[in-house]
This record gives sequence, structure tokens and C-alpha cells, in this order.
Amino acid sequence: MAFYEQHIHDAPTTFLSKYIFSYDHKVIGKQFLWYGILFLGIGGIMALMIRWTLAFPGQAFPILGNFLFPATGGVVPADTYAMLFTMHGTIMIFYAITPILIGCFGNYLIPLMIGARDMAFPLLNMLSFHLAALSGVLLLAGLFTPLGAAAGGWTSYPTLSTLIGSPGVGQTLWTLAIFVLGVSSTMGAINYITTIITLRAPGMGYFDMPLSIWGLGLTAVLNAIFLPVLGAGCLLLVFDRVFGTAFFLAGAAATSGTGDPILFQHVFWIFGHPEVYILILPAWGIVSDLLSFFSRKPAFGAKATALSMTTITILSTVVYGHHMYTTQMSPLLTQSFMTLTMTISIPSAIFFANWLGTLWKGSIRFHSPMLFSLGVVFVFGLGGLTGLYLATVTTDLYLHDTYFVVGHFHYTMAASVLLGGFAATYFWMPKMFGTMMNEFWAKVHFWITILGLNGIFMGMMIVGYAGMHRRLYNPFIYEFAQRMIDINTFVTWSAITMGLAQFIFVFNFVHAVFFKKEKASANPWEVGTLEWTIPSPAPHYNFKDIPVVKCGPHEYGNPALTGDVDFQFQTEELAKS
Amino acid sequence: MSEAISMNTMTKERYGRRLTSSIAMTVVLVTFSMLFASFFLGFTVFRITSDVWPPMGFERIDLFLPTLSTVIIMMSSFTMWKFDSLFFSEGKEKKIWFFATIFLGFSFMASQVLLWTDLHSKGIYVQDGIFPSIIYSFTWVHAAHVIVAWMALFYLLPTLKVGVMIPSYENRVINVGKFWHFLGIVWLIMYVTLFLI
Ligand code: HEM
Ligand SMILES: [Cu+2]
Repeated sequence: MAFYEQHIHDAPTTFLSKYIFSYDHKVIGKQFLWYGILFLGIGGIMALMIRWTLAFPGQAFPILGNFLFPATGGVVPADTYAMLFTMHGTIMIFYAITPILIGCFGNYLIPLMIGARDMAFPLLNMLSFHLAALSGVLLLAGLFTPLGAAAGGWTSYPTLSTLIGSPGVGQTLWTLAIFVLGVSSTMGAINYITTIITLRAPGMGYFDMPLSIWGLGLTAVLNAIFLPVLGAGCLLLVFDRVFGTAFFLAGAAATSGTGDPILFQHVFWIFGHPEVYILILPAWGIVSDLLSFFSRKPAFGAKATALSMTTITILSTVVYGHHMYTTQMSPLLTQSFMTLTMTISIPSAIFFANWLGTLWKGSIRFHSPMLFSLGVVFVFGLGGLTGLYLATVTTDLYLHDTYFVVGHFHYTMAASVLLGGFAATYFWMPKMFGTMMNEFWAKVHFWITILGLNGIFMGMMIVGYAGMHRRLYNPFIYEFAQRMIDINTFVTWSAITMGLAQFIFVFNFVHAVFFKKEKASANPWEVGTLEWTIPSPAPHYNFKDIPVVKCGPHEYGNPALTGDVDFQFQTEELAKS
Repeated sequence: MSEAISMNTMTKERYGRRLTSSIAMTVVLVTFSMLFASFFLGFTVFRITSDVWPPMGFERIDLFLPTLSTVIIMMSSFTMWKFDSLFFSEGKEKKIWFFATIFLGFSFMASQVLLWTDLHSKGIYVQDGIFPSIIYSFTWVHAAHVIVAWMALFYLLPTLKVGVMIPSYENRVINVGKFWHFLGIVWLIMYVTLFLI
């Protein structure tokens, strides 16, 4: 713990050193936040185009359509449709959720919550953001190439992603962009891991860390281990596309012992399954903390929660095969992967029960961050349960590549992770920007969002269960699917509603950041973790004196507490009667 | 690294920085190991699913140049280790080991280039199928890392000065050293798997 004390540096003075080339973890966190919100918007519009096409095939996309697709009179063309779902998935996963949860809150929270002045390597941290920005440019550049952006799905399976399947530059740019982003995230992971190990405030053991830090730390470990695996796949794919190697070329196999498209799937999912946990772990950690903060109760079984998170992290590395049941793996393998996948239910159940235990008999304060956290509990429950259907080989053979999968992963990723991100944004807003967001509009935002997303993803699971395939431009050419047009229309209206509700968030956010006069107090939520012991917004050196930690992060409602507060700061000695 | 000398003057701050840097370097090495491990995973798949190896009528790569590369990179690991251990001392000797490492690093790259030109002269190009794909791609990626590590050596130049402040450079030396040895190990694995067996 705190193996050394970082010095206080002078505050930067110029615009560039303050906002663009800042070494300050808080500024870098905010940069990632803006970056993520920007891409959330871009990815969101793409989602609406996909949904529009599915609900109203052959009709022009409103407002933007005529401008974007003049050749077809505003209708999304079939090849563009493939590009849209590819870019939508890629952007949401790698360029929206990752930067918000890991880039923004990882950077922002880790030093503040463990009582450090900055990350262990501030320069590396700055470079990590700028590489991420470069990667974003590379990805978007694909949209402006002659044959358009990548269109092989966010998984980029060969042969869709080799020169045969996608001859344009778009796919190459996609692959490069992901590689560069991988390097950026790895730099982040180096910083997070090192910082958490060496810069914790004196007195802070691992179990005194808030669960948010546990989630972020485990995420960093997964990132460091598995991003390079995707990196290797991307490198080989680029070699295939640019230098003519034969790693993923099928057909060349006719002359014996050559390329293998399935190899990419292995490499992708060895990374890809841990990746889904990379995204969910920070959200879980944050929600575990917030549930305790707003129930005014110690987090139930906090140690067990942390250990379950660790167990899930470890198990997540050995289950990737459940994405590939339909690739003609040997039955022995599919069954092993099935068993291993099911095993994750055990720590998940412990974890989930602990959330409920935290809520049980709490004096719950229904502020907006709490609403969003409860939303995560609800939607993650649904997402996790549907995972079991997919983990079971026999049901998965039927459900694979239907909208049921799309519903499942949107519940777990889009719904849970996004709601977690919103919870965190509302919650740490005062510390980040010094003002609170408007509670009323936050709640309106929450209710429309949660209703909207359940409409969307529940609808997806229903049509998927009925057999509607994913990735089809017009599934309704199949007779059995025609009866699903109504549900699809419903899903699309839900999506439009939910999309519009996000403007409430954006206005609320921008208003609070730039226009709100009223400053937030140092500790508006009455929470005891270290970042709330310093003024809002946090000063650039965080802590004038490095705090000494004397108790855990969730000390609420201790009967020995005197006075009118029901919580203690982590810097206070645990009250004893 | 002679721990005895260094620990005597080890302040809390210096110890902390050293620990920090060693944790970070561990993460870096894990990362790079996973990158190469994924390559080897791919290689294993191709190798065991192919009836004959090398496939498609290729012949084994002539062992001379790869063996030469192996000898060179092992020697460079040795010289790097010597430099490492003399880093705390003053004097000429550590300069010799340092420049020997620079030279050997350069020679390794030269031997790789020779390997590639040799393959080209035999009419084996990277597009010719999975076997040359593997040989070229893996050696490219490894060589790219060697180039980075080689440039990192120049970052150690200030440590050759007389009266150098050890605490301000020690982490650089330790880390570059670790990376250098790491690349040697990766090459050794490549030598055995791609060329020998
Ligand atoms: C709780 C336990 C979970 C189980 C048992 C589970 C199981 C599965 C299975 C078997 C599939 C493959 C379905 C198929 O392609 O046929 C799948 C897909 C997916 N899951 Fe989960 N999952 C779980 C949790 C999560 C979480 C926490 C996330 C993300 C935060 C997630 C994200 C995804 C994604 C993104 C896909 C689809 C990828 C694609 O095909 O494009 N899952 N899940
Ligand atoms: Cu999975």
C-alpha cells in the first residue's frame, strides 16, 4: 500500500496542457466520457436505421435518409445494412461502452477511490487516450472509402472479412482500428493494475477497496491478458488482406494443410468471451457499491461479492467455446464448454443474492443513480437467465444466430452495462464537474429508457424464439416471418422512444456541465469513500495530504454512530459502542 | 543486479518506483506473451491438422541462418546480462558489453533479412500458402519487436556516463533488459517449433 507518495505538480495553465494533452487522470477520464458519448450517438443513429429497415422495409429513413442514401431515395440499401450492423456493434462495444466505463470511470475513479494523486504512469495514460482517438478516426474513415466500411459483423469472421468477402479498404481499416484500440486499452490496463497495487492509501487493504475498484481492476487484468489475443488475430487478418498470407483463407486448403477460417473464430472468442466480462465487471462493481450507498446499509457479503467477481473472471477464460457450438466442434468439446459455462452460474448466483441481500431491509433512497442501479439488477437478471438457454447445446443449436442471441446480449451489454454507465455518470457528476444533474429529468430519462429497452430487447427475444434470424436485411421474405412484422414495428417504436429519451440525458448533462450556476457540495450523496472527502470538483492534485484509511467503504447505519449522520468516511476509525 | 549495493541506499520512494516499474513490466510481458502464444496456437492448429509438414511440397527451411540467428540472439542476451550486472559499477567494461549488445542486436536483424532474401531467392514468397505465411509473419512480428527493443537500447546511453545517478536510470535498465531476454526466449521457441521440429 502506498509504496511511495506522488508529488503535487503545479496545475497546468494553457488550454492545450489543460484539456488536450493533460496528464491528469481526471481530465483523461472526462475526455473518454465525451468520446464515448459522441460514439454512443453515432452508434445509436445506426441502430435506429437498422430497426427502421426491419419495421418498415422499403420505406425511406426519416430526416437523414435522403441525405445519406440519395441513390435509393432514402431507403437503407442492403449492402449498407450489413455495414450498419457491423459498425453499430463495433462502435457500441469498443467505442462507446468501453470508453465510458473503463476509459472514463476507470481513469476517474481508481486514483480517487484508492487515495492516490494520479495514475502510476500519467504520460502513458495520456497516450492511451490519444491512441483511442486515432483508432476512432481510423474506424470512421472506413465509412468514406469507396466500398464503404467493414460489413462482416462485429466479430469479423472470415471469410466475410478476408479479401474475398470484403474487398474494400473498410475492413482493413476496421482491423487496424481495433488493433490500435487494443494497444490503447493495454496501456490503460498497465496503469490500472500498477496503480491499484502500488498506490493504495496507507491502511487500505484489498478488501477495503470499494467494489468499483475491484471490478475495474479485474477488468484490467482481463484486458491485459486477452486483448493481445485479439491483437494477434487482427495482425494475421491484416497480413491476409495486405500481404497475401493464407491464415484464414479457406479453399486454399484444397491443396492440403492451409488456411482455416474457423481459427479466427477461436482466437476471436478466446478474447471475445472475456471481453463481455471486461465490460460488465466495472458495471457490476459500481452497482454493488451504489446499492449499498443508497440502501444505507453495508454491502451484503462484500468480500464474497469481490471473490465471486474474481471467480467469474477466472471462469470466463475457459468458456469461449459456447459461441461456437455450431462450428462442428467435437461433441466432447461442446459438452465440456457447456459444463464450464454453467459453472459460472454458481458465483453469479452468489453475487446476485448479495445484491438482493444489500437491498433487503435497507432504507432505500430512490435517487437517480439508485434507480439506474436497480435497473441493472433487473435487466442483468434477465440477461443472465437467457444466457443459460444459449449455454445449453441443445437449445443453442436452434437459437444460435437468431434474434434471441441479440436479445440476450443486448440485455447483458446494452442494457446492464449502459444503465451502469448512466448510474455512474449521475452519481459522480458532482465530483467530476462540480454540479449535480437535474434529478427530475434524470428520473424521466430513467423511466423512458428502462421501458424502452425492455420493449426492444424483450421483443427481440420473442421474435428470436419464433425463429427470426439476425443479420437479414429483409427477413419478411420468409412467410413464417411475416407475422412478426407487428412485433418488429413495436420494437422499432420502442427504440425510437428510447433513442429520443437520450436527448433528455444529453441536455441535462450539457446543462449541468456548462450552464449550471449552483455548485454541488463536497459530499451531496452522503457517502464515505475517499473521493467524497475532498471538494467538488476534485482539485487537480486530488488529495492535499494522502488520506489514511481506517475502515471499509460501506460503513452505514452503524448503531454506534453518534450525531445525525448514518455513515462514516473511510478515513474515520470504525465507530464502536 | 547486485542487490546488496542497491538495497543499502534504497529509499522508500526508490523502492516504490522500482516495484511499480517491475509490476508494469510484468504486465507488459504477459501481454506480449499472449500475443505470441496466440500465434503459436494457430501454428499448432495448422501443424496438427496437416498430414505432412511442411505442407504443399515445401521443403524444410535450411537450418543454417535460423541457427545463426539463434546463436546471435543468445549471445546478445548474455552481453545484455553482463551489462545489467555491471550497471552499478563505474568503468569501461560495461561500455564494451553495452556496445556488444547493440552490435549483436543489429546482427540478429541482419541475419533475419538474410533469411528472408534467401527464401525469396528460392522462390518462396509469403503469398504461397500457410507454411511461408507462418514463417514470414512470425519472424516479421518478432523482428519488429527486436527493432523496438534495439532502439530502446539507445535510451540507455545516458547510463554509460561517468557518475551516473543510478536511481534515476535503474528501472530503464532493468526493463529493457527484461524485454531483451524475453525476445530471446520467444525466438528460441520459434526456432524449435518453426524450424527444428
Ligand atoms: C450469465 C451468464 C452468461 C451466459 C451463460 C452466457 C451465454 C452465452 C452464450 C452461450 C452465447 C452464444 C450464443 C450463440 O451465439 O448461439 C452468448 C452470446 C453472447 N453473450 Fe452471453 N452469457 C452470459 C453472460 C453474458 C454477459 C455478462 C455478457 C456481456 C456483458 C454477454 C454478452 C454476450 C454477447 C455479446 C454475445 C453474442 C456475441 C455474438 O454472437 O455477436 N453474455 N452468451
Ligand atoms: Cu460468451
